[in-house]
Amino acid sequence: MEEKHAIDVTDLVISYQNLKKTSIKKSLLQFKRRTVDRFVAVKGISFYVRQGEILGIIGKNGSGKSTTLNALAGIFSPDSGTIDLHDHSISLLSIGVGFQREMTGRENIVLSGMLLGFSEEEVRAKEPEIVEFAELGDFIDMPVRTYSSGMYSKLAFSITAILETDIMLIDEVLSVGDQKFKKKSYNKMKSLISSKDRTVVIVSHSIETLKELCDTVMWMHDGQIKMIGEPEPVLTEYVNFMENS
Amino acid sequence: MLKRFMNDMKKYWMYAVYSSKAQLKSEIANSYLNWLWWILDPLCFMLIYVFMFGYVFKSSEQYFAVFVFIGITMWDFFNKCLLQSVRVIKNNKSIVSKVYIPKFILLVIKMGVNGFKMFISLLIVVAMLIVWRVPLTLNILYFIPILITLFVVVFGLGCFLLHFGVFVEDLSNVLNIALRLLFYLTGVFWNIMDRLPAPFNSYIGKGNPIAFLLTAMRDCVLYEKTPDLPILLAWFLFGLIVSALGVRMIYKNENSYVKVI
Repeated sequence: MEEKHAIDVTDLVISYQNLKKTSIKKSLLQFKRRTVDRFVAVKGISFYVRQGEILGIIGKNGSGKSTTLNALAGIFSPDSGTIDLHDHSISLLSIGVGFQREMTGRENIVLSGMLLGFSEEEVRAKEPEIVEFAELGDFIDMPVRTYSSGMYSKLAFSITAILETDIMLIDEVLSVGDQKFKKKSYNKMKSLISSKDRTVVIVSHSIETLKELCDTVMWMHDGQIKMIGEPEPVLTEYVNFMENS
Repeated sequence: MLKRFMNDMKKYWMYAVYSSKAQLKSEIANSYLNWLWWILDPLCFMLIYVFMFGYVFKSSEQYFAVFVFIGITMWDFFNKCLLQSVRVIKNNKSIVSKVYIPKFILLVIKMGVNGFKMFISLLIVVAMLIVWRVPLTLNILYFIPILITLFVVVFGLGCFLLHFGVFVEDLSNVLNIALRLLFYLTGVFWNIMDRLPAPFNSYIGKGNPIAFLLTAMRDCVLYEKTPDLPILLAWFLFGLIVSALGVRMIYKNENSYVKVI
């Protein structure tokens, strides 16, 4: 059987360059040309993820992991190179799609769902499940600005976890809420991830998690791929490297 | 690009509608008088202006209250949309940094919110026309192309402000001043054609889009006149071109916004 790729990334370069904020006052007062800062976060990486595969990305801070993930989600545009998602729907499971603070939890569920590409009816159909999972009680009909930070992340997690997309991007395996919800969300996530035809990309620092969940691990270092392959050897190399440096 | 724009509009239209509705709802959810504010707000301002300019400065416009009310209604829409578009990306940081959305949709949402308020005000105008027994002619139907032109022009200018608002920190201060100047050059409570010396009155009356649209609206609704059609068409085309350039600029740069805010 021909293996299907869910994500194809070729020669991806992402840099943060000359995008410094400016103000009219500053540019009037400063006559010398501002130096152009250019920071290349991702330096020409290529990889692919097969349909249903779980890819873990590991690396030290600032190695370009999250930038890559954001680029996959379409939030950053690549400076060069291409990302082909083959028309899959994709969502970034970090602390939720942004909420409108003045609106109620329920309205935010619909808005977030619609932003993820679902129709209003589809979201409405899933709404009870989300409300139940989030365990917010009466707060679901209160404006989000009245929520505690734990409630906020519980709602955020529930929305992205229950409205399932073909590809899920996870930035740090989440542990949100209190002890009980933490366990529940971790289990939910595990069942989401292990579902057969879902493609998942996880960024994490936890060797244990990656070892347990992933089919493939990619080790990024200074914006480049240092190693990619079976979890066991890559993670061993990584641990050695980190301990000796 | 046009195809992409159309697709995005179709795809995110329902989101924009829902989001506008929810914003309107949340604006009034915590106030006592609720939706009455949508009516009270413009009415109160009209009373102030009518008092100031009708009695203190003795303005002699016919149907002065309606005259002022049309002015405020359209100016408010123009003013609010432009001011909000500068900060729209920053204010929606939580969305912009989590999921892809064509950024002009955020502007469309703002226009929806303000447009709805304008619509309520226009209903009040209709009521006022009846109360004051203003004689109507078919010319009144020109309000449709006038409003469409207003929307297109505001959308185009808003796209540019949205883009530069991300990179230029103090743009909103500058815009505030510019809009204040424009406010006085628009003739919200006087007739710009009568009060300014010729030839400046016609330069400003035609060269300032909001002044022109406002005057045209009053002409067709209150004074049984046909607006200056070639100029209306010119502003409509101007709006289309600015919108096209603005949308193109947004498409080109939108994914970098999140790196800056």
